[in-house]
Amino acid sequence: MTHFEIELEKLKNVIEKIGTLAQGQVGESVKALLAEPLSEGKEVKKTEHKIDKLDIKIDEICQSIFALQQPVASDLRFIMSAMQISNEIERIGDLAISIIKKAKNTKDKHDLISRFQVAELAKEVEKITIKTNECFLTRDETTIGEIFVLNKSIKNKTDDAIHNIVGEMKVNSKAVVSGTNLVIVLKHLERISEHCTNIAENVFFMINAKIIKHEKFEENKLEE
Amino acid sequence: MKDIKIAVKDLSLYYGEKKALKEISLEIPKNKVTALIGPSGCGKSTFLRCINRMNDLIPDVRITGSMLVEGVDIYDKDVDVVNIRKKIGMVFQKSNPFPKSIYENIAYGPRINGIKDKTDLDEIVETSLRKAAIWDEIKDRLGDSAMGLSGGQQQRLCIARTLAVSPDIILMDEPASALDPISTSKIEELVHELKEQYTIIIVTHNMQQAARTSDYTAFFYLGELIEMGKTNDIFTKPEKKQTEDYITGRFG
Repeated sequence: MTHFEIELEKLKNVIEKIGTLAQGQVGESVKALLAEPLSEGKEVKKTEHKIDKLDIKIDEICQSIFALQQPVASDLRFIMSAMQISNEIERIGDLAISIIKKAKNTKDKHDLISRFQVAELAKEVEKITIKTNECFLTRDETTIGEIFVLNKSIKNKTDDAIHNIVGEMKVNSKAVVSGTNLVIVLKHLERISEHCTNIAENVFFMINAKIIKHEKFEENKLEE
Repeated sequence: MKDIKIAVKDLSLYYGEKKALKEISLEIPKNKVTALIGPSGCGKSTFLRCINRMNDLIPDVRITGSMLVEGVDIYDKDVDVVNIRKKIGMVFQKSNPFPKSIYENIAYGPRINGIKDKTDLDEIVETSLRKAAIWDEIKDRLGDSAMGLSGGQQQRLCIARTLAVSPDIILMDEPASALDPISTSKIEELVHELKEQYTIIIVTHNMQQAARTSDYTAFFYLGELIEMGKTNDIFTKPEKKQTEDYITGRFG
């Protein structure tokens, strides 16, 4: 292995690590939402710091590779993607923390959660983060396609759940506080799913040298 | 690639029995910089030298196929090789000024082409040196020996000497490989400016130089043209695995 290949491998390992940590944070956020026993709050905070540190480390590795190795072709695409992916992962981590905080402070949420299929949606968000990590590591295009499909399903479910919760708030003033908090949580979950989709788009670029971000219909992205 | 300056079809070159270039077909666009890259011995310099028939000077060389420059096959029997070399100038890896004054280095070519008038020659010397981005550095010492110039200045002087006979095409064989980064950057900037008026073909081992200076890049390997395309495409998404392996340094 050349010195350059060792640097690339190091970068890949750090992304794998930060991805796994963010995946864990999303898992914790779903637990907090569904009121399953949560890990120590301290642990979540510690992981947040670790993610931030790794995000900076990835920037430093990429900067050094750009300056010293002048990467081209697939190497260039990998490093460009790595920088964007780490950014997306760091945001996923932040959103997960926000969900945990919001969920812990929202009393009486269980009735709304069970009535409007929020648990199913949260589980799908957990699944999309797992798939996203997997697609970066395996560079498998089938998984990228699955991520786009999941994102669409999460979007639809989020819209439905918010619509129903708002409807409930209109007729039941007692549901307004918890309903509002829950809507914020749902929007955070939807954002996590979008960040996962952005990562999948970056992996697609890494493999195929084709930029597909900002294309309107996600299911059409892979067809060209 | 609309305006084609050079069209090469099935060009093969043999050094005795050894086939050094294998059925090369490509088109070189006008007023663009085309870089030829590839490992040592891949045939890129041999190919470059075919463009102004420099290989004619080597015994036992045999060439088949065609090399059309503006539609004329330069290997046609009726073609005057001196005229070809007038139209197609060449700059070499090692600067090779004549052991004469700076002025005489530039005036030499036009003079043997029949220009005798001092005013005309003065104008050619100044214009050529300006185009080669060296005029300001040496305008006050045109009578000094060219051998006293720095390596980078000598190379730009050689480019000026090439320009003095009004070529259409400039061939450059590793023109900056022996120069420091500042001189290299001046040569690269010059290449960029010269393409407005000339078609430039540059052989380089420096991958980043090819990426920085050229519009098109052709990758040669073992006497074959593996891939040619826009430089931006070659260095971001090459089509052939061999090209990818070479530019990313994973060859062999």
